This record gives sequence, C-alpha cells and structure tokens, in this order.
Amino acid sequence: MLDAILISVQVAVVATLINLPIALVLSWLVVKKRIRGAFLLDILASLPLAVPPVVVGYMLLLMFGRHGPLGKVLEAALGWELVFTWFAAALAAAIVSFPLTARAIMVAMQGVDERIERSARSLGAGPLRVVLTITLPLAYRGILAGVLLGFVRAVSEFGATIVVAGNIPGKTQTLPLAIYQNVQLGRDSEAMTLVAISIALAVVALAVHNWLLARANRL
Amino acid sequence: MGPFLQLNVRKTYGDFALECEAEFGGGVTAVFGPSGSGKTTLLDCIAGMTSPDSGEIRVQGAPLYSSDKRVDLAPEKRRFGYVFQHGALFPHITVRENVMYGYELTPDSERRFEPDEIVNLLGIAHLIDRSAKNLSGGERQRVALARALAVSPRALLLDEPLASLDAAHRASILTYLRNVSEKLGTPMVYVSHSLSEVMALASNTLALSQGKRVAFGPTGEVMAHPEVAQIADYSTLENILEAEVVSTDTSTGTSMLKLGETVLVGPPTSAVPGEQVTISIRAGDIILSLGVPPKTSARNAAPSVIRELREVGGRVLVYLDIGEQFIAEITPASAYELGLAVGRDVHVVIKSNSILVFGSESDPGAVR
Repeated sequence: MLDAILISVQVAVVATLINLPIALVLSWLVVKKRIRGAFLLDILASLPLAVPPVVVGYMLLLMFGRHGPLGKVLEAALGWELVFTWFAAALAAAIVSFPLTARAIMVAMQGVDERIERSARSLGAGPLRVVLTITLPLAYRGILAGVLLGFVRAVSEFGATIVVAGNIPGKTQTLPLAIYQNVQLGRDSEAMTLVAISIALAVVALAVHNWLLARANRL
Repeated sequence: MGPFLQLNVRKTYGDFALECEAEFGGGVTAVFGPSGSGKTTLLDCIAGMTSPDSGEIRVQGAPLYSSDKRVDLAPEKRRFGYVFQHGALFPHITVRENVMYGYELTPDSERRFEPDEIVNLLGIAHLIDRSAKNLSGGERQRVALARALAVSPRALLLDEPLASLDAAHRASILTYLRNVSEKLGTPMVYVSHSLSEVMALASNTLALSQGKRVAFGPTGEVMAHPEVAQIADYSTLENILEAEVVSTDTSTGTSMLKLGETVLVGPPTSAVPGEQVTISIRAGDIILSLGVPPKTSARNAAPSVIRELREVGGRVLVYLDIGEQFIAEITPASAYELGLAVGRDVHVVIKSNSILVFGSESDPGAVR
C-alpha cells in the first residue's frame, strides 16, 4: 500500500517537472509572443483534456512499443524499453495533466498587464529579462496553482497509465491502479483506505490551489 | 541642428490607416486628437512597441525604423522613456526598485542623470521605500516619470499621462513636467486629447484626425486651425498657468496671486506666501471689458492687450497678454459688438472663484 503511494508521488512529481518548463514556454508563445499559429498550439495543448485518457495511453504504446518508431530508436540507442516502466506512467500522467497546467499558466500570464511589460522593455530590458523580472514574479501564484492542479491530476491518472505502464505492484502500480486491483479482488477495506487517502490528498491540494488563486487575484 | 525626430509612417489596422509625416524639434511636442485618431499608434511606432507597415523613423538622423533599410530596433534599444496613463509601475517591487530598474540597465557612458537628482526633482524621496502598489494617482505618475528619466532617455514619450487624474493632480503633474523640460532639457512627445494640457505644455503640436495629419506647427496656430476646430472641444479649454502666492487672508477668504506682472485675487489656498502654485481659469469664464469696468462683484479687472483673435468652431478665441499668454473664449457676436481687434487694450474680468489654485510643491493629495 505504501508502495502505491510512493510510486504515485514519484510519478506525479516527475510528470510535473516534465510539464512545467514546456507549459511556461508554450504559454509565453501563445499569450505574450502571440506567434503565428498560436491558436493551433492552444488546441494541441488542450487536446489531452478532450480525448479519453485511454487513447493517450494507446498512442504512447504505439509510439514507444517494441515495434513503435520511438520504441525502436530507444531500444537501439540505449537498449532500454519504456513501456511498462514507472517512467511510462510518468509520461502518461504528464500528457494527461498538461492541459490543466498549461491553461492555468496561460490565464496567469494573461493577467499580467502588457503595459507593465512594455514599460520594462522601454527601460532597456530584453524579452527574456522581462519574463524573469516582471512576468514570472507577477504571475507566480497563478503558475503555482496550475502546477498544483496538474500534480493532482497526475496523481489520479488511471486510463493512460494502465495501458502504457500496466499495473505491476511495486513497479508501476500507482494509487488509482491499486484501488482498482483491490476492488477487482474484493478487498474492500484496503480499497476504502486508499480511497480515503486519495480524497484527503485531493482536498488539501485543492484548498492550497484556491488559496493561491485568491492571493493571485488580489495582486 | 537638424530636427530631433523625423517621422514618416504608415500603419494599417483593418479599416484604420495611420499615415503621418512630421519633424519634431526639442522641447515639448504634443500629438493632439480625439480618441481613435491614431495618436497612441504613432507613439507606439516611435517607441518600437508596434512596427509600422512602411516608412522611416529617425532620431537625430539615425534610423530606428526604416522599411527600405530593413531596420527595426527593439524598444529596449531605442532609449525612450515611455509613460502610460496609469503609470504601469512594477507593483511587486518598491518605488526605489522601480526607479533603479532602468538605471541599472543603462550603460555608464549613457547616464546623464543620477537617480537622486531625479527623485528630488519629482518630489518622491519620501515614497522611495514604499511598495509601488500603494500609491495615489499623482504619486504613481511621478514615480513613472522618475523611472523613465532614470535611463537618461533621448526623449520622454507620454501617452495621456494625466487622463486618469483629478484636476488638482493634473495641475501638479503639469508643473513637474514643465520643470523636467526646463531643468533636464529632455524632449517630450506628449499624446493628449486635452486642449488645456496641450496649451499649457507644448510649444509645437501635431493634430491628427482619423490617422491623418490635419495641422502641425506652433501650438497656438494649430489650435486655431479650422480643421482642428472640428476635432477640438473649446468649451473645456482652461488656462493652466504658474503663479506665485503673494499673501493669503483667511478673514476675507481670499489670496493674492502674482501672475507675471498682474496680481489677481483668488480663492483661499493652503499654500504659503512665496510658494509657486498652478492656477486654472476656464477660457469661457473670462469676461472682456473695454476700458475700466464699473463696479462689479468680480474681484479682478486686469488691463491687458489683445495679441491675436481667431474665430474657430463658432467661437472666438482671444489671445491676451497679462504678462503671460492667456486665452478667453467669447461668442462672435460679442467680439463684433465690442469691435475687438489685435493690439486693442481691454480689461479681463475674472471672478476670484473662477480661479482654481493647486499647490505644486507637494502632492495636493498628500497635504492637509
């Protein structure tokens, strides 16, 4: 049981670490830089929210499986197979939770008055300096809230994970997968304990999320 | 010395097209026009916030933008101090950090002003450790000006910097702007839809309407240009002037204000004798009289000479000299009946209550 919790946290932390830099760069390109084709990027970023997670898992399986294009490259280069490892679970969780993080960060960045950023430009700051000294400090609460939301979603990921990482106790079995197995085996009390832990974790995370957003809006 | 800033820009947004050519000298140049006339777009093109579709922008001969030469300098390379209507201060840091932000990014060789000098000039020394988030409107604009000046800019670009302020703060910031222009000599491009501000501050004015230049030249002439008359609202015209408090009398509830050679009786003020204040008198509140007027309830009847008469937009603007230039707005019928003409001696009659007095030394919001 402890294994499942630790694996869940590990998977969700790695998923978040993968997502944060990508979401920051993407949000900046869409919201601030307004590059050509930004609306396509926006759709792409939100797509995993709209398709069933099992589809994400299946796509990953097709790409990284023994006969998949990326799977073959990895096998040849590193002799490593991604499928059915905890890292596959992290990748699946990252993709499924990405829209929540990215969308929250976009909103946070949109909330930073462009005139403030333009003032910084006219005072001699280049685009990167403006991001580091103005945009990020002013948007950080909203960004943290998005990270937290993504983290919670990564912890609760099930559909994509079971397809691409399987349900191997002590290896790829996360909290939701352990609940599923216990339910299947009729071990109701174990299942209920894990359910309680899940709910407690979610409530705490959402409370912190809401607190961050309330503070972000006050700035 | 050639012109300071040479502009020739074209920029289209949907139905709107800005097409403007002008050469600005030093001093204060106003860009005047109603909203939607393209003044902010023009300012953004100068600042590098927006790229024109084609044309050229040169500062002291060097191109900042040129569609022919494929030059388009980033805003941070142009060294203009941009001030927005609401200040756009960095709210997460202190006033000091706001002022130092650009100063620290300015190479030593380009620094002409020191932060202390600017902070004192704008009277914000007492705010320096405050968070930039909790300032009044007038304080915010002074900090925004200080922050822009700290980079020793080639020019200040001001986009309606007084539009969100009340009358008292507006007068106070105008005084600071005049001081900056006089003491630092930094050229300014001042975007505004307010006739009074433009009159009070700018020696030259570019009038825009629907993206096109309708007049350009000395402010007095531009303001009386027949096409400008169609976009200007003369009924709001105020004379915003500097005066010195001579004395205040609490028993009669009046103050004596010295304006050039003329002493006017004004309303009571908290300013002390000797203090410089900004006063505002609406052009429409001024009565002209031939010869010394008989006894009236108005406290002021000052002798003056008509320097210029211009009939615009169904009104007559009378440019008067009472030691300072001064504008009265009357109807064409009155001008005709009085037989007003350039060079004629008249008396200007002003009720003391028509004079608004604003302290300039300290923030009017902060005193009292």
